[in-house]
Amino acid sequence: MYHSFEVDGVDHTLWLSASRHGYRLHLRDEVIAPVAFTERSDSSGILTIAGQSEPVRFVIDGELIHLHIRGRTRTLRYIDPLGAYAAGNDGTCPLVARAPMPGRVVAITVSPGDSVSAGTALMMIESMKLETIIRSPQDGIVERIHVKENESFEHDAVLVTLSKEGF
Amino acid sequence: MPQLPFDTVLIANRGEIAARIVKTLRKLGLRSAVAYHEIDARTPAVSMADLAIQISGNTPIASYLDTRQIIAAADQARAGALHPGYGLLSENAEFARAVTDTGIAFIGPLPDTIELMGDKIRARNFVQSNGFPVTPCVIEEDDPATFASRAQAMGAPLLVKPSAGGGGKGMRIVRDLNTLEAAIEQARSEAGRYFGDARLYAERHLEYPRHIEVQVLGDRLGNVVHLYERECSVQRRFQKIIEETPSPALSQELRARICDTAVRIARAANYRNAGTVEFLLSGDDFYFLEMNTRLQVEHPVTEMITGVDLVAEQIYAAAGRELAFSQSDIVSNGHAIELRLYAEAPERGYAPTTGKVLLLEYPNDVRIDSGIMQGQHITPAFDPMLAKIIVHSPSRMESVLKAHRAVRELVLLGCETNANLLARIVSDEAFLGGHFHVGYLEQNPHLAAGNFSAGMSAFLASAALLTRPVRDSADAVPELHSALGNWRN
Repeated sequence: MYHSFEVDGVDHTLWLSASRHGYRLHLRDEVIAPVAFTERSDSSGILTIAGQSEPVRFVIDGELIHLHIRGRTRTLRYIDPLGAYAAGNDGTCPLVARAPMPGRVVAITVSPGDSVSAGTALMMIESMKLETIIRSPQDGIVERIHVKENESFEHDAVLVTLSKEGF
Repeated sequence: MPQLPFDTVLIANRGEIAARIVKTLRKLGLRSAVAYHEIDARTPAVSMADLAIQISGNTPIASYLDTRQIIAAADQARAGALHPGYGLLSENAEFARAVTDTGIAFIGPLPDTIELMGDKIRARNFVQSNGFPVTPCVIEEDDPATFASRAQAMGAPLLVKPSAGGGGKGMRIVRDLNTLEAAIEQARSEAGRYFGDARLYAERHLEYPRHIEVQVLGDRLGNVVHLYERECSVQRRFQKIIEETPSPALSQELRARICDTAVRIARAANYRNAGTVEFLLSGDDFYFLEMNTRLQVEHPVTEMITGVDLVAEQIYAAAGRELAFSQSDIVSNGHAIELRLYAEAPERGYAPTTGKVLLLEYPNDVRIDSGIMQGQHITPAFDPMLAKIIVHSPSRMESVLKAHRAVRELVLLGCETNANLLARIVSDEAFLGGHFHVGYLEQNPHLAAGNFSAGMSAFLASAALLTRPVRDSADAVPELHSALGNWRN
């Protein structure tokens, strides 16, 4: 069964399967095994991944998982599969990048026809005097850019339409 | 040494600097009192001080700027002296006068000196008339009608600045003289809004200079010494994020010259207490930028290389003591770096971040000046600086390595910070080589952007294994021949 974690606005789909020495981690384009996590206290543990051991500091706060690994801090949000299913992303509709808040386009960094990966910066927007990067939610091809530089948009407006690679 | 004329000091500040001042007061055997807003009740300074007095206001920041309440708190604490820290009321001459008028020693220079250096145009004129270098400039109020044409005549690039400015607010860089009029209008409206003072001036803009500043100390008897320079060129939006001393940009000769210039400027201003003279360095030429009449955020790097406790010296100076050392007694030893930890997301244009500090662990063997504790909420009410990591080593390379280790060991979960950016900078080739200037981060946007996917699989693996439903669905369909893992919870 697939599960999703959101990191900095990008969804990562994965699943775990049981293996002889722990679990296998199935990511979009690779399988890593074995993986295991040993909790040492309520906020620390050891991640074993592909033969390497990494100390991990963590705090779980509802759906948020705060992690510190190898000097780097990230927060991942677990996306409830029932909620994600209800949103109807069944893979047949074109993918879109939407505006997380009302704002204005500062710079567009891709063109129609460009091949992008999940996390590729599509454009820089400005909202409430803060600049934010809009990233591609998945791998695909830029089909259409719906806004021009300097143009304003409302919350949830479709900024970029992507098509799946190979379509 | 004779006893100090006061036994209690009120700290009119918050965050890391209030906590840092408490430490020195304790060391000197003085009682510490802090005035605090309710929102700061769970912060290090409030828990460390001998006495904490609550103040209030329409906003948290307004209460820390309320002269009447602060002075009442000093009275209530029976404080004989007041330390303003940095920011807030620290460079407000009216406040310094009001404190002095109630018979409380103000830990800072004379109010007249604060006033002189607080007005950027007066300060420039003063420095220039004493024969020290300033960048070419034209001042609006000399002849308002011709301000734009006089600025035009100086040529691009120009910097239009508010006379009352600070922190980069209202400043406009003009590279195309056709945009000069518009820049003047924008700067004027911002100056009026931020400072209530719309006066402007325009100066020659140095492309990519380095920011070098010199720490000075003066006493009531007119003695002034310097405690060497600090390099503060790693900045974002005119705000410093990494400082170090000695500067990798200065030869011994240039170092001596810039430090001596700072001493002579401070002496000309009859400067008492700790202060900082800021310069812009372009090649081997340096120009006076401004003088800050207070303790600086980055003062710890100076303390590390000189062994001088600057807050203690400020207190002695305010008590009227003569400096206990002369210039030749101050020796620069090793190299120190300060990293500023901010609640912000460099990856998203340095947007401020908020959250609750769920887990906080500081690295060992380095100095940490912290304004936060585990369990504390980080709110947008104040400046986003959370803490400072200060390292000291015999050489610059060792300091850089130590800083890199320390910032990677620091664990703060619950509120996003700029720690990843700090780690990227101190391992960047240009920074390692000492080749940077005030435009360094702007010219290297990859440092702020980071590598989005680096190391992602370890994060996804940990999150997956720590999330019950993800593990449950794996355990529900065990692989043939495989035993179930011995997982709990």
